[in-house]
Amino acid sequence: MTVQVNKSYVLFPLGEKRFALPAEDVTELARPDNVQVFPHRTPLLTGVLVRRGKIVPVCDVAQVLVGPAAPPRKFYLIADCTIGSGRELTAVPVTGECVLASGALTATVDTELPYIQGAVTVGEEAIQIVALDKLLAMEAHA
Amino acid sequence: MKPLKQFGPQPPMQAREDVIVFFVSGYKLAIAAGAVKEIRGMEGLQPFTLGGISAQIGKLRHTLERNGTTFFVVDAARHFQLEAAQPSRVMILRDLHTAVLVDGTDRMMEISTLHALPRVFTHEERSWYRGLAVVNGNVVPVVNHHAFLNKTEMEMLRAGLERVRGVATV
Repeated sequence: MTVQVNKSYVLFPLGEKRFALPAEDVTELARPDNVQVFPHRTPLLTGVLVRRGKIVPVCDVAQVLVGPAAPPRKFYLIADCTIGSGRELTAVPVTGECVLASGALTATVDTELPYIQGAVTVGEEAIQIVALDKLLAMEAHA
Repeated sequence: MKPLKQFGPQPPMQAREDVIVFFVSGYKLAIAAGAVKEIRGMEGLQPFTLGGISAQIGKLRHTLERNGTTFFVVDAARHFQLEAAQPSRVMILRDLHTAVLVDGTDRMMEISTLHALPRVFTHEERSWYRGLAVVNGNVVPVVNHHAFLNKTEMEMLRAGLERVRGVATV
């Protein structure tokens, strides 16, 4: 098991489970907004938001992380993630309010999923940390 | 220390452009006005049958003869892989042997900014669109009119016509 120094994470719920994103990547928690849709074929993308003049794609990662039975999403966590050779804002629909927590990243022993980069322990709960860029890249090539 | 962001998102292109807004299967899309030669009704469409090519290019259902030129009419709903639509208009494209069957056209308008399609869109849509325009808060994709029939498809059509007619007419 590898242990790193404490970092901050944004914990977000998807139904009964919670996941984490590195806080340094999260730019905003947004209220439900008008998701705009147009024809496309990329999995997980449900549309785009217009935020402060920028177009932000909406990636419904719940389909991968908890399956199709996830409850309705209530907020958008907007994160700056690496897409290809650049960084881009991406909105992740979540099912409830998010909290900021600090902890040490530990390697997880119960998953070999490439988009889970480890876990952060908060109280008794080990919360998986999502590597959003890896998840999106994996789905893009699915 | 975080690395410098050397490859940021493409900045939106600030260039005023006239576009024609049209509808396909309930979606609102736009095309450069300069790419459209004529908008007309459905009259004059002929069923497209060209050996096995009709099956290979499923979105190509009709042809249209216009002033001695054959236009290949692409069903926009099939091109965008949408549910079958109820087309009522044909947009004949300028400088191409392509026309596009759409549900309807709305109006011509001016856009001031064309946003790059976010990189996370990785599939066919990357060739379908030149970018995204924001009009009164609504996102409208601006189509790449060269993608309705791409080079490979045009070559396939050219070869098919050569086989059938014995001469190249495309």
